[in-house]
Amino acid sequence: MADLVLAKPRTDWVGIGFAFILTVVIVVPMLVVVIWSVSNVWRFPSVLPQEFGFKFWQMTLARSDVWSALTMSLSLSAVVTGLSALICLPAAYAFARMEFPARTLLFFSFLAGQAFPKFGLLVAIAAIFLQLNLIATFWGVVLIQLVGTLLFMIWIPVAAFQAVDRRMEEAARDAGAKPLRVFWSITLPQAAPTIGAAVLLSFVGTFYETEGAWLIGAPQIRTMPVLMISFINNQPVIQYAAVLSVLLWVPSLIALVFTRRVVNSGSFARGFGA
Amino acid sequence: MTARPVSGVQSSRGLTGLLLVAVPVLLFAWMTIWPILSGLARALTPEQADGSRPVSFANFVTFFSDPYSLANLGITLWTCLVTLGLLLAICIPLALYLRFAQGRLATYVQTMAMFPMFVPSIILAFAFIRVLGPNGTVDLLLNAVGLPKIRSPYLTPWGPVIGLVWDNIPLTVLILVSGLGAVSNQAVEAARDVGAKPLALFWHIILPRMWTSVAVVVSFTMLGLFASFTLPYVLGPASPEMMGPFMQRTFRDLRNPEMALTQATVTMLFCIAFGLFYVRAVARNRES
Repeated sequence: MADLVLAKPRTDWVGIGFAFILTVVIVVPMLVVVIWSVSNVWRFPSVLPQEFGFKFWQMTLARSDVWSALTMSLSLSAVVTGLSALICLPAAYAFARMEFPARTLLFFSFLAGQAFPKFGLLVAIAAIFLQLNLIATFWGVVLIQLVGTLLFMIWIPVAAFQAVDRRMEEAARDAGAKPLRVFWSITLPQAAPTIGAAVLLSFVGTFYETEGAWLIGAPQIRTMPVLMISFINNQPVIQYAAVLSVLLWVPSLIALVFTRRVVNSGSFARGFGA
Repeated sequence: MTARPVSGVQSSRGLTGLLLVAVPVLLFAWMTIWPILSGLARALTPEQADGSRPVSFANFVTFFSDPYSLANLGITLWTCLVTLGLLLAICIPLALYLRFAQGRLATYVQTMAMFPMFVPSIILAFAFIRVLGPNGTVDLLLNAVGLPKIRSPYLTPWGPVIGLVWDNIPLTVLILVSGLGAVSNQAVEAARDVGAKPLALFWHIILPRMWTSVAVVVSFTMLGLFASFTLPYVLGPASPEMMGPFMQRTFRDLRNPEMALTQATVTMLFCIAFGLFYVRAVARNRES
């Protein structure tokens, strides 16, 4: 460790070691998946595929179960994110800007869900859904995924609204702007980038949500991750799952590009209690 | 609005505020607080043959006297502890490096360490099987240089451990690096000036300032691991199984919600201390 702090000019062997190990452990598995998706033939003893090609991309994209799972995942994510924004953003604005009884208590109450192991909580919810006949229904899965987005979609926008410069709002109001106009022209544009990141993260998070969809939705509601589990467990042709993995990855890469700034900031780590 | 009496403004705004937060708060209460209480109540009042529900610990007695349930609880605890140990052993050095190193190499290491956050667990599970599974990449490479195949960790208790460590590296590193922000460069340099060796430096200067973030990591990962489902379900052995797949199977395949709720209550009780500590840490950060 002494080397790390003091001797900057010396070769950073520790860093090279970490970089090498992490590259092997993290990049190689992902590369293997990509290679599998573009191999027409890859039989055992060969280190690389005998034949490259996009044969299995065509075959995977021709499968109706893939298309119905993709449609299901996209519509679930859109409905959940839309509903979540509809109920959470006004609430976030109220938490950030208004005084009302029990404000702090209600704000922190959303943490209560974090105190329990998530799958135990899902089973408890599923037991209630069983009595309400919501098991294996679209709206059952919507509800369980919606609850998963609440904390995120309230806490991040609250921080965004709190970060808006109050003096600019007051200046606009002094110039005669109505409250709604101030909100629309001053508050929202400043808070929008962070809120956009929260909405994107909630969409992507819902797209990949597996456990609620599996416990509540299966077998009728088949999302992409649920289909992926059945490909891994029951599909002898490896390439189908490989192509599906690469397809499944796209939303995550989009999230990576657009939310890197949020994730790298210290406030993100603090949100997890660091 | 300014023309109105102040108290009137406040009470009307107070009502507006409450109305605006009502929907998510009520939804949250109905889908989190209520299921936990009602699940606990149902686990404590087993249904009798005549349909009555007297209060009794019978469900918990059944759980704790069933060798299979105990084996599942045991494998869950084992997985949590091994994963946690490995995570700390990997991430503390990594976080120390990222805290003190600068330059492009450090940025690259950080990017790599954060990358698993953007790989969904299910893709990770598939990649794991293709690399470490039977006839996977490791076997191919070993075979190419004339060495015997590995004993694959796929479908053994080590499968979920490896997957969960991989999956949890980014958040663990983030939390630890954030905690190391409390260690000032001056403190480290001052200790070095008086001749402290690296190990002494770590033990006396850095570690005491890291405890909080280590505790946060421990509770956060214990909660996450105790309730993990996807990786143990896909990568782990069928028997004994971790609590996640066990609860899922009891609920969906055995159609026994009461026993599944008992299992859920047991996992919640095992995690309660970690959960309370974690929530307190998050709330305290948010307030400051």
